[in-house]
Amino acid sequence: MHGHEIGTSEDWQAARDELAKLEAEQAQRNQEIEQKRRDLPWVAVEKEYELDTEDGRKTLAELFDGRSQLLAYNIMFGPDYTLGACPGCTNLGDGLDGSVIHLNHRDVTLICFSRAPIERLTAYKRRMGWEFPYVSTFNSDFAFDFGLALTEEQAQQVPEVKEMIDNPPDWLREWSGQIGAELKDGLREGPGWIAFARENGTIYHTYTVMAPDPFVAPYYNFLLERTPKAPPTEPRAWRKDEYPD
Amino acid sequence: MTDHKVGTREDWLAERAPLLAREKEHTQLGDELAQLRRDLPWVPVEKEHRFDTAGGPRTLAELFEGRSQLVVYHFMFGPGYTAGCPACSSTADSFDGALPHLAANDVTMICVSRAPLEQLLAYRERMGWSFNWVSSYNNDFNFDFGVSAGEEVPHAVAPLLGANEVAALPLLSDPQVRDNLPPIASQNADATGTDVAGYFSEGHGVSAFAREGASVYHCYSSYARGTEFLMGYYAILDRSPKGRAEVGPMGTWLRRHDEYDA
Repeated sequence: MHGHEIGTSEDWQAARDELAKLEAEQAQRNQEIEQKRRDLPWVAVEKEYELDTEDGRKTLAELFDGRSQLLAYNIMFGPDYTLGACPGCTNLGDGLDGSVIHLNHRDVTLICFSRAPIERLTAYKRRMGWEFPYVSTFNSDFAFDFGLALTEEQAQQVPEVKEMIDNPPDWLREWSGQIGAELKDGLREGPGWIAFARENGTIYHTYTVMAPDPFVAPYYNFLLERTPKAPPTEPRAWRKDEYPD
Repeated sequence: MTDHKVGTREDWLAERAPLLAREKEHTQLGDELAQLRRDLPWVPVEKEHRFDTAGGPRTLAELFEGRSQLVVYHFMFGPGYTAGCPACSSTADSFDGALPHLAANDVTMICVSRAPLEQLLAYRERMGWSFNWVSSYNNDFNFDFGVSAGEEVPHAVAPLLGANEVAALPLLSDPQVRDNLPPIASQNADATGTDVAGYFSEGHGVSAFAREGASVYHCYSSYARGTEFLMGYYAILDRSPKGRAEVGPMGTWLRRHDEYDA
């Protein structure tokens, strides 16, 4: 048998009511944090950036596609990756398309960035069946200026990164094999979200959040917080077309 | 220029740091909540519910498709509706991308509604979805889990009903309630070819079940705002410069994905 506590409906209801109070408190805190995010000062972007898209080079302003807000997820897919993007980031990408049209009608353009050249992003996007715009930050300072990528020198100076490169756990070795790059190169890309606003011709950087954060995780992780059994704690992930069985 | 507070990179970093600390604390509390959900007692599902599915009649145990966990999204689509609830539809737009990854975690995810199967499948085709959508038209499942209005208030979730549409139904006879409903209620009633009472005959929610051999256990349910984590766009709006601040009355901006004005 499973060994899990079995109860009556009344037992469940009593426990569920207690939990509901805690869930309501958590929702309240989420609302307060959301307000704090909106209160962050906006920082004007002074530099001009041009990035490669499927439709040619575009300025950061053009990536807004006429809307006033731009939200982008930076998928770990560096120029050195020979086998495709980080599988965990790929899983996150799998959850985005369903939200795009709804966000567009709230004045938000949703895209993804990666640092590999655009041809490789476009091929990978086709393989995964994605529809969101996928933009390359190759040959641009953009990813470095906004903390989405590290130079080789910077990577050596971050103790956590250096430790992961020097003494990788098994899952990270496996990850290196999945992306087809050495860790010293693979770990230079930063998984995270970045947000910009555009008003009267000026672009502002408003928010960045990097892993680990529940938002820097696939959509289905929220569901796995509600399933009866705990998911594995190791951040091991597979692309949807590469599951072992 | 902008009316929003503008600052230097240093100003931003100075305010980002304490916010990050709060976000991390929130994450920690979220992990604890996940554990508390798993600590809930499991309740054996004694009744045998038979569902109409595209593959023929199936029991609840069979809907697990061999996996040990089942997540049900209670999608508001009653027998009296002409189309599925628009808000549920916007939620369901995110489901298909999750299915292979949930399956790899031993989780099957489906939608259950009370409208007859043919109606569900026709609407699923219109929306371009592929998740398994089964009908509880011929069983008590929706009544037992508090997402369809029946003659008896179900046992399993009665106090929680305070949060969902079905629970509000008896209150509609009170003019104070009826006249002060959020505009989304009548908007969605119109969009589903019902009136508010007809629309509120169904409720939305999410339930999780576990299976051990032939035994099925009910583990978790949540309703109303408790299902917001499934609305992928809200999590994203929460990180956007202007946040989720609603432009009109709550939720009224939402449409089915094929019904937005160009």
